[in-house]
Amino acid sequence: MSWRARRALVLLTLALGATAAGWVRGEVYQEPDAFVAEIFGTKPAPKVLWLTKDIQAQAAAILGHPPVQLRQRYWSDAHKSVWILEEIGKEELITAGFVAADGRIDHVRVLVYRESRGGEVRYPTFLKQFKNSTLAHNNTLDRDIDGIAGATLSVGAMERMARLALFFDRMSRQ
Amino acid sequence: MKKFSFGLALAAAFAAAPAFGQATVDQKLQILQQEIDDLKAQARRPAAPTQQASPYSLDYSSMLDRSSGLANGGTNIVGYGEVGYSKFRQSGNATADLQRFVFGFNHRFDERLTLHSEVEFEHAIVSKDDEGEAEIEQAWLNYKMSDAVNFKGGLFLIPLGILNETHEPPTFYGVMRNQVETRIIPTTWRELGAGVHGIVNEGIRYDVGITTNFDSGKLDDPTTGIRSAHQEGQLANARNLAVYGALNYRRPGLLVGGGVFTGDTGQNGASNPALQGIPARFTLWDVHAQYRVAGLDLQALYAAGTLGDADKITAATVAANLADPSVTPFAAPKSMKGAYVQAAYHVYKQGNFDVAPFVRYERIDIRQAEDPGNNLFQNPNNNERIKTLGVNVRVHPKVVLKGDIQRYATDKSQDRFDLGLGFMF
Repeated sequence: MSWRARRALVLLTLALGATAAGWVRGEVYQEPDAFVAEIFGTKPAPKVLWLTKDIQAQAAAILGHPPVQLRQRYWSDAHKSVWILEEIGKEELITAGFVAADGRIDHVRVLVYRESRGGEVRYPTFLKQFKNSTLAHNNTLDRDIDGIAGATLSVGAMERMARLALFFDRMSRQ
Repeated sequence: MKKFSFGLALAAAFAAAPAFGQATVDQKLQILQQEIDDLKAQARRPAAPTQQASPYSLDYSSMLDRSSGLANGGTNIVGYGEVGYSKFRQSGNATADLQRFVFGFNHRFDERLTLHSEVEFEHAIVSKDDEGEAEIEQAWLNYKMSDAVNFKGGLFLIPLGILNETHEPPTFYGVMRNQVETRIIPTTWRELGAGVHGIVNEGIRYDVGITTNFDSGKLDDPTTGIRSAHQEGQLANARNLAVYGALNYRRPGLLVGGGVFTGDTGQNGASNPALQGIPARFTLWDVHAQYRVAGLDLQALYAAGTLGDADKITAATVAANLADPSVTPFAAPKSMKGAYVQAAYHVYKQGNFDVAPFVRYERIDIRQAEDPGNNLFQNPNNNERIKTLGVNVRVHPKVVLKGDIQRYATDKSQDRFDLGLGFMF
């Protein structure tokens, strides 16, 4: 490669870096507190869902592993509930906020994404697939979620969390 | 009065009796006791940075033990492996092989800076008398400035094709990796270098950089295109570098993309003095697509490349043979292209269990710079068509069983029946 080409590449790299410096942002897209406050207008007092043996067993069936929490904090009013959940995609935790209303997913947002690949799951083109999904037989979703090439495990984690949010919502209202 | 109190207590107990899903006081006490027991057990274990919960977990749930989420300063272990059995139709011979076992350490220095690594062992045993190899497949640092701008440096995978960057066995169809992304795109292809990558505009992922390149003086197998000239970060001759660029658009169910890699490979004759001053420019590019709809997985890829001064590389192998008769001369590849189309259908899916038969058709065409004067001619096996019919059975998202039948149009000795299992963690 000629020196001219190398210089051009270095300049391009520096230009990209300088551009990025203006809008540096980490892996946190929205603080969970801010997400809860956005949904309710103000942040209501949290409630707690106690994971009894039966709930733990069903949560384990959804996740494919035992839930790490024994009490799950959530926020709710008469119509909707908000759940901040975490699940590992390939190797790192994905933190996502789920709003369940009348037994359906009303809203999903990826709040923190730490994986090096698969970040496409945080975009609306992917997340809108969850809108209005409900729990069907065996606590599965009532629809197939289309995957994203190269992000299969992150997609799977998002689907499991959506199912868990709907299941927790159902348990919290009984 | 006693009767009244007992009745009141009973009524209160019934009133407090929860519907299904609500915990009783006893159940809550049991849960708290379980948490105390877990905390005690955790306190007895030596502190492990890999088991820290994320800063958000503790706020929103009482997560007691995260065994793989990476907190700042944390390290985790990832890996994959595959085992294959092949029965060859013509010879009747069969082989069974632990094709590879790979483990990697990922470390998070802080919320922006991470290390990614993979160490690979191929064919089970590594020794002077065995076929096995031990190699570093990846070892690179990533600094995330934003989604759109990440800087990386070290030994990393070149973003060409579909398989090179995503090559864990549960992610592809067939016991063996496809031949186009083996002989034309030399998967698993890594170089030392630096790059910038990121996602812009909701799903467009770019990756550009500068890296080490092949060394055409090291070529010794023209049936695999440029593959045998790879340097893999091992005391790589770096007089000639390469630049690469890749662009991929991903949205649910769809991937469309391509990439290009180019640079001189002569390395000023560092490996073969006859190549001194010879540029031997190598350029390889590809376009690829995946489309998933209603249980159907479709995938196609086209890759093509050229190696400049191939006639001079052929002459250099003749010169090397004259200097050392143990070196076999050959006609160097001057152009290479290949393509495949693949279709799979998920016929049965229940929970983690997933059965997907597939078919694949591959075409490979590697042209060599012949030297009739020295009896160096094109290898007929470099013009090949391969049909594969098989099935992937996933028993877990990260564990797959595979079986397939392959038919080669030219090199019939490769016709085979394969069985395999693969995993990732």
